[in-house]
Amino acid sequence: MNTLPLGLAVDLRTVVPYKTGSWRTMKPLNIMQTPPCTHSCPINNDIRGFLRLLADKQDYDEAWHVLTRTNPLPATCGRVCPHPCEGGCNRRDFDYPLAINGAERAVGDYGLEKHLEHKKLIPKRKEKVAVIGSGPAGLSCAFHLAKRGFQVKIFEAQGEPGGMMRYGIPSYRLPKEVLNREIEAILRLGIDLECHAKVGVNIPMDQMIQFYDAIFLGLGAQLGVPIGVPGEEARGVYTGVDFLKAVNRGKSVDVGKDVVVVGGGNTAMDSARVAKRLGANVCVVYRRTRVEMPAITAEIDEAMEERIMFRYHTNPVKIIADEGRVVGLLCVQMELKEPDASGRARPVPIPGSEGVIPADTVIMATGQAVDYDGLEVQKIDNKWISTNEMQMTSIDKVFAGGDAVLGLETVSAAIGQGMRAAEAIEDYIEGQVESRLSPPPVIYSKDLNTYYYQKAHRFQREALPVHIRLKGFSEIYPAFDRSAITQEAERCFSCGLCYNCANCYMYCPDNAVKKAKSGTTYEFDLDFCKGCGLCAKECPCHYIQMTLEK
Amino acid sequence: MITASSEDLYRVEKKDLFASGHRACGGCGQALAARLVADAAGENTIACVATGCLEIFSSPYPDPNWRIPFLHSLFENVSAVASGVEAAYKALKKGPVNIIAQGGDGSTADIGFQSISGMFERGHNVLYICYDNEAYMNTGVQRSSFTPLGAKTTTTPMGNTTRKKNLPLIAADHGIPYVATATVDDFRDLQRKVKTALLINGPKYLHILAPCPLGWGHTGDLTVQICRLAKATGLFPVFEIINGKVTNVVKIQEKKPVEEYLKLQGRFKHLFKKGAPLKEVAAIQEIANQNIERFNL
Repeated sequence: MNTLPLGLAVDLRTVVPYKTGSWRTMKPLNIMQTPPCTHSCPINNDIRGFLRLLADKQDYDEAWHVLTRTNPLPATCGRVCPHPCEGGCNRRDFDYPLAINGAERAVGDYGLEKHLEHKKLIPKRKEKVAVIGSGPAGLSCAFHLAKRGFQVKIFEAQGEPGGMMRYGIPSYRLPKEVLNREIEAILRLGIDLECHAKVGVNIPMDQMIQFYDAIFLGLGAQLGVPIGVPGEEARGVYTGVDFLKAVNRGKSVDVGKDVVVVGGGNTAMDSARVAKRLGANVCVVYRRTRVEMPAITAEIDEAMEERIMFRYHTNPVKIIADEGRVVGLLCVQMELKEPDASGRARPVPIPGSEGVIPADTVIMATGQAVDYDGLEVQKIDNKWISTNEMQMTSIDKVFAGGDAVLGLETVSAAIGQGMRAAEAIEDYIEGQVESRLSPPPVIYSKDLNTYYYQKAHRFQREALPVHIRLKGFSEIYPAFDRSAITQEAERCFSCGLCYNCANCYMYCPDNAVKKAKSGTTYEFDLDFCKGCGLCAKECPCHYIQMTLEK
Repeated sequence: MITASSEDLYRVEKKDLFASGHRACGGCGQALAARLVADAAGENTIACVATGCLEIFSSPYPDPNWRIPFLHSLFENVSAVASGVEAAYKALKKGPVNIIAQGGDGSTADIGFQSISGMFERGHNVLYICYDNEAYMNTGVQRSSFTPLGAKTTTTPMGNTTRKKNLPLIAADHGIPYVATATVDDFRDLQRKVKTALLINGPKYLHILAPCPLGWGHTGDLTVQICRLAKATGLFPVFEIINGKVTNVVKIQEKKPVEEYLKLQGRFKHLFKKGAPLKEVAAIQEIANQNIERFNL
């Protein structure tokens, strides 16, 4: 036995420290939660994940891979998405929401610039899946299935893939070059594409069902529906979809001097702005007011900037034609009464308020429908395809998604549906019945400790001046400055995920927060943690939470 | 005078010189402050601690939590003991070494006041750190001369009727080269002040507001938030006095009424009972306003 120094009864080096952890009634835990941006995104993009990569490492390469885990079309969505994620951003209660849409576009453009390739998750399977329609829903479904190793073939009725993204969205919003290259990158996963193949017309549906293990219908809403006023058969009257399709195909359309667009949705805005670029004076006629317009707010703003006239409370009654060619539109004034089933005010005509708006072209952007030619599926209201919670239609092994199911929705909603349908198809083929894990709870502003965040200006994208915009179909928003985007990403609160602020590490009075061995995160030394909750209170992003000790 | 680079001074230190396993209550402001001070001072330090909470919870035989030399003294004489340590080092021609004398508010402002004053006057090269939790918490929450107006303690059950002694200014009036105040919420600032003080030769005084969840009647998780509010209301001005001049005053970003600070704490609960005279809260607000005006917060 070692002899101790004089006066010592115990060798201090052998004393076991007093484990104060036994006092604890509450225990801190690192809990990753869903940020509101991901929650409000129809595709559930890992927005926090890619923004943190930009902020911490300026790693656009990895950010692109994080983003394309869910969204195969980031450069497209970065341009056309109405970004519900920004509406969800917790920063809106602090200063301004993050410019997520801009960051997405910058990352998507980086991917195109560097020719980044998608990665396959599972090498190859023998099951074959057919995807009908190559719009956002179809492309997304094909992309996610191909990543999972399925042999996928896309059937497209038109001459080129892209669906409404190609034929509906004008190139000043989404340049064709961007769309082409993103679609090429998706097809390079080994997806076959057959154009000019209309299932139900060129290829019978029964044959498809026999040959493929599953089928996804991403039909979209390709048919323009006029509202049925007298005189619609006159020359110079188009539906919104037909008009946009003609212009986007590169046909020259003579719109004349005065154009009247009927409707308040996105197709109406696009038609009006395209007509304006073709050199006409454009007037949008809508029977309610701006508040009720279903179009994306930014689209309406930009249309107004481009000096497009808006006539609210106005409804067409009759198209006036001279020698079979349209010359004007007879309209009636409306007043708004109590809301209807859609929650929007119900317009009622005011008797005796009719008036004529002169027009060389009338564009009826008043509704769209699915082209069911040769396809027999169960429908809701005889309009949209009815699906169950697995997105399967009334026909076994036929799934559906996108506008044909949702009604008129956004590109990102269609991509989200395509993604979920791909998951459902995988489950169906594998015979999996257990539901997938639901995401963790969403974090809201009240959970955050915003003391540690600093107010900062939001990234503003610069639009071209209006007179240059109207000269042609070049993109309105030129490429973004990458350093400004990185700076914007630094504003991200990182709701619900540690970003290494080290507050817990510095504030623990018991020294019970240790650096994890990986060196990037922190963990709790439960031998000594007394459960005071200081770390959880001072955690800015609510990643640390107190739970009851068992 | 100060030769270290600002990068060195502002670097946050964590060296585990004040180890886990101490017996302080959960969320103890003093334990947090002592750990930040020990880590900032570094290995080459002798800690002298007066009787009080800090000494009780951090130094029971056989497992003290200090990983630096530690000297326990009586309530009243930690400054005298630290002076002796410094004199011994001088006599033995050893060193240099950082000597830190530490005490609670009772041993600083009441019982040990004469020995502090003596140490300042004699000019020993010692940093005195006062962990101010505004009462004698160790013995069961009795009033000290740092107890603020209106606070309830076991010896002032109806609320304290006197104002808090302003020791930082008294210390500065001894003509010592460095006096500072700090709170535990801004650990970067606190550690910078410890490091700055240790670079200066002569007696130094650092006053740290260290909330006591037990005595102040709040849950342990609010310790940092209460410090932040003490600054934001103006009740605890944070500043440095270098050679008699007040500098580096931490400005209030967003001024808060004192109610926000008082309502979080059980010791001020009686001020907000139904029928309680509002003039006491008004008097506390007046103190905050005076501080804001005096230190230009």
